[in-house]
Amino acid sequence: MARSFRYYGKKRGHRRTGSPVVGRAGEAIFWAVLLLLGCGGIVVLLFQFVVPEWRVNHEFVATTCKVLDKQIGERRGEDGPLFRPEIRIEYDVGGTTYRDWHYDIHQHKINGGYFGKRENAQAILDQFTVSGPAKGPRYPCWYDPTNPSVAVLVRGYRPWLWWVFTVPASFVLIGAGGLVYTLLQWGKSAEQRAVLAQRVQERDFFGAGSDPSAYLCVPLGADITNSPGIRLSFRLPMTRAPAWALFGALVFCVVWNVSVFVAILIGLHMAGPAGWFLAVFLPLGLIGLGAIALFVRQLAVATRIGPILLEISGHPLRPGAQYRLFLSQAGRLTVRDLRVSLVCEETATYRQGTNSRTETQEVERHELFRRQQLQIERGRPFETELDLNVPEGAMHSFKADHNEINWAIRVESDLDGRRTWKRSFPVIVLPAPGDAGR
Amino acid sequence: MSAEPTVVIRLDGDGSVYQPGETLSGHFWIDARDADQVKAVEVSVLWHSEGKGDEDMAVHEFCRHEADGVPPIDFGRPQRFSTTLPKSPLSYEGQMIKLRWCVRVRAFFHRGKEVVGERQFQLGNVPPLRVRPPA
Repeated sequence: MARSFRYYGKKRGHRRTGSPVVGRAGEAIFWAVLLLLGCGGIVVLLFQFVVPEWRVNHEFVATTCKVLDKQIGERRGEDGPLFRPEIRIEYDVGGTTYRDWHYDIHQHKINGGYFGKRENAQAILDQFTVSGPAKGPRYPCWYDPTNPSVAVLVRGYRPWLWWVFTVPASFVLIGAGGLVYTLLQWGKSAEQRAVLAQRVQERDFFGAGSDPSAYLCVPLGADITNSPGIRLSFRLPMTRAPAWALFGALVFCVVWNVSVFVAILIGLHMAGPAGWFLAVFLPLGLIGLGAIALFVRQLAVATRIGPILLEISGHPLRPGAQYRLFLSQAGRLTVRDLRVSLVCEETATYRQGTNSRTETQEVERHELFRRQQLQIERGRPFETELDLNVPEGAMHSFKADHNEINWAIRVESDLDGRRTWKRSFPVIVLPAPGDAGR
Repeated sequence: MSAEPTVVIRLDGDGSVYQPGETLSGHFWIDARDADQVKAVEVSVLWHSEGKGDEDMAVHEFCRHEADGVPPIDFGRPQRFSTTLPKSPLSYEGQMIKLRWCVRVRAFFHRGKEVVGERQFQLGNVPPLRVRPPA
């Protein structure tokens, strides 16, 4: 007989996959515990702080009192001593005279009303004058009509109290949201859950649905066509500006060399000039020198290679269609090999243990232009127009949560036979018109 | 009729390659001695990814049929389904990524048992990736 409930699922190799029912139950329990903690926290805060202060403001009866004595109460807290003002007052209620130590309503709880600064407590005490044998000043006070021995000299709410509520309130929000989400998905198939998630994603906050004429999972590429070209329709943006690579080399060079320099200074101080540390830090110092040389070299190349510009006659692209490209490379350099290609890359994101990894692989390359031994002089950029034929049957651009198919025009400049400068200009390829229109 | 229940899915036409905007239609039935024990069936037309990355999935068409609906449904007899296919994403056979379209029928039995049947088809005419980049 088929079981409707399993503690564990299929065995895969040496491990068993978890039961979805147990997993969902655990998830629901987790959210419920979070929700209960939040609710409990709110209830405790309400009854400990809000309700007593509300009663003082709305139910306590006003009268006057005289101050008999005053002192600073002190007790040891976890982070040091805590203080509170304590004022001995005398007041009459219904012919009965009450004398006790009071200040605010929190003093009537065990260890209540304390705070960290002694000078604050002293400042409060300084507001009250102790009555001598002669008639002294009288101060307003408020007593509890259900228990007249409870009285206060101040009323109002503590403003910081409302901020404390944000902690349990966030527990309530997260717990309730998680619980509702888990219960909504309870007993539903993977397909039904996917449909629910899609409906949420497709609706924006104003209730508008997604455009039914749009291509699903095909990026819009709006940022690609927001810059008009000079010769052709659009100027294509670059994925990574070379200045960032240069900046990265500079940061590495500075951090590495400063670290090694400081380490050598400390080593010299501790071990003397012929210390063992030189054997350790000499190779690291050589790496630092290498980093400086690399940075200077990159800087020299970057100053020689001027801005590169790529314009296109139309966008987005369609398989089988032809477009024109305009390439402009400024600078002062000799390029051994300049290539322009249309490339397609697959990008996959996957979980490995607790890490998320992303892998990219070039899967298609169509060379559009190639020129060797190209001399570029300052003030006279190399400019050329070329054809871009998107191959028939090319897969369209695709973007989902974990998988992507991206197209780009890549310009590669081989400067000295060892280093190749690559610039990538992303483009969007739509499904072929025949595929979409039939 | 087999001892273990199975889902049989038949697509109209050639049943293998469809174009965006085309109508995909067919029928399914539950091949089981106790087909009357099926309480509900979900029919989905969906795409999902295979390969190195974690799975992405999106359902284009979803329909749930309850056996005790009005009128009651006998899932042992062929039940029709039909949908207009979307413009994208097209089926794709790449190196790290594969995108597959299928009709998936999930039958829920009264005692909690589930039986799933799947019929793949190709959307669009993107040929399998053969052009490999130079090393």
